[in-house]
Amino acid sequence: VLPQLLANGLVNGCLFALVAIGFALIYNTTRIFHVAFGATYAVAGYFCYFFLIQLQWGTPLSVVVTVVLTATIGILTERFMYAPLERRNASPLVALLSSLGLNIVIINLLALFFGNETKVLRPAADVTYRWQGVVLTSTQLAQIITALILLPTLLLVLRFSRVGKMIRAVRDNPTLAQIMGANLWFVRAVVFASGSALAGVGAALSALDVGIDLNVGMSALLIAAVALIIGGVGTFEGPVIGAFLLGVLQSLVVWVVSARWVDAVTFSLLIFFLIFRPEGLIGKRRRVEEVLS
Amino acid sequence: MNYLMHILVLINIYSLLAMSLNLVVGFSGLMSLSHAAFYGIGAYTTSLLMTSAGWGFFPAIFAAVALTSFLSLVAAVPSLRFHGDYFVLAALGFQIIVFAVLNNWVKLTGGPYGIPGIPRPRVFGMEVTTNSQFFVFSCVIVALCGFILWMLINSPFGRVLKAIRDDEVAAASLGKNLFALKLAAFIIAAALASISGGLIATYIRFIDPTGFGLNESIFILAIVIIGGAGSFWGPLIGAILLILLPEALRFVTIPDAVAANLRQIFYGVALIILMRFRPQGLRGEYRFE
Repeated sequence: VLPQLLANGLVNGCLFALVAIGFALIYNTTRIFHVAFGATYAVAGYFCYFFLIQLQWGTPLSVVVTVVLTATIGILTERFMYAPLERRNASPLVALLSSLGLNIVIINLLALFFGNETKVLRPAADVTYRWQGVVLTSTQLAQIITALILLPTLLLVLRFSRVGKMIRAVRDNPTLAQIMGANLWFVRAVVFASGSALAGVGAALSALDVGIDLNVGMSALLIAAVALIIGGVGTFEGPVIGAFLLGVLQSLVVWVVSARWVDAVTFSLLIFFLIFRPEGLIGKRRRVEEVLS
Repeated sequence: MNYLMHILVLINIYSLLAMSLNLVVGFSGLMSLSHAAFYGIGAYTTSLLMTSAGWGFFPAIFAAVALTSFLSLVAAVPSLRFHGDYFVLAALGFQIIVFAVLNNWVKLTGGPYGIPGIPRPRVFGMEVTTNSQFFVFSCVIVALCGFILWMLINSPFGRVLKAIRDDEVAAASLGKNLFALKLAAFIIAAALASISGGLIATYIRFIDPTGFGLNESIFILAIVIIGGAGSFWGPLIGAILLILLPEALRFVTIPDAVAANLRQIFYGVALIILMRFRPQGLRGEYRFE
């Protein structure tokens, strides 16, 4: 049982990592707690459902169009909601509350269009593969492969490419980065587009596996935020580590206790980290005020 | 008449929730998404003591206030080390853990089935039966709590809270104990929310966990923000507005399910527009800066 549990945990960790690094791109760079990231995730799931089931577009096309659309949503959110707030120097709390409002609006629009019940994207049982006593479905394999391609690519791009350096420069000091020639609005558009697109990828892959309902957005957001904090705010490797940790922990909780306690355990872990290691696993130790300002 | 009284009772209950949360959000500048948890702890404690132990309303409420104060202390000690986003997440974590306990500890709370058959309160041997009587009863309690809050926010305590909210470093340099003051505000707010919980439980006479989840916390926060954080009357205006609005939708022939979504879309849009143009809300004075 244990190898299977670990495998499931790692597969979930792959999905969590994609979403968490998407959230981290936005949070680390702009310090906006993008609550509507959850709604973006949910929208992606429903788009995927709409294209795949209602328009019968086939899986690859549906996923690609979904991801493009979620990236667009990210850019539009930045352009029309956060950018005006940033221009008048509003506090992060104002952005958070505004984002909370947007999250409520989008989730309820989805409820009006698609109804409250869970949507299933895969009518028949999935093809399964067995290896060393571990059973994986083809959707799970797709999740693993996507994560294995995207995660290293992202981390390398962030570390070595020009745009990656610009993103990290804005993260460290937005004013100084602008003085050195980085275009703040371009960087913000890039992180919102790519962060939202990653939410889209995660949502589509998860929807193909377990379907979609109105609550998945909020839980994806919370997992991403918790993974970022326990991994280390300000880093891009941290949320990936945090996500795998959460994936494995959650699958152990499901086995040892019950699926109903997963959220409670996730947040107990968060509170444990906030008390004993607020800088996260690989974050730099800084004074609390410095982390927060 | 009965219907009107029902609306007024709800406005009373949500006014108390919003006014108490305002002490944390508007006066201490802490964005708490855990108020429904304390509301729920109050409701469950009151209900369990009244149904299983046969206690009267007032002893049960006192026990609920005591338990909620203690649990809010437990929640506050780790959370209050932070402000901003970290505080939001820590408080949110508490909300989610409380909801999981209410929903999953079936032996104690009845889990998703909730607690039915909660008795109405008795005052001087008379049962508060009709909606009108309950309205008067809740008015007295909410007015009393409102009076306490009024005294608090106009006392030196309230002014120091505002000072901390506006400039932590300056307040600390004047020798104010930031942690103790914020802790006091947080606990008082939670205790008052638990009284709201006792009211809703004995009014509806049935509770289940869905009334005390994250969405409820968001709703209470929206009342405070839309009405105006940091003013005494703002949360009252917010409560009246956000409770009356869906009732108004009822008279236009919109199906109930759609009306629920429309109500939420309304306050989501209101949040976005207010944050863009008027972050202090309709009648507030705190702009979250």
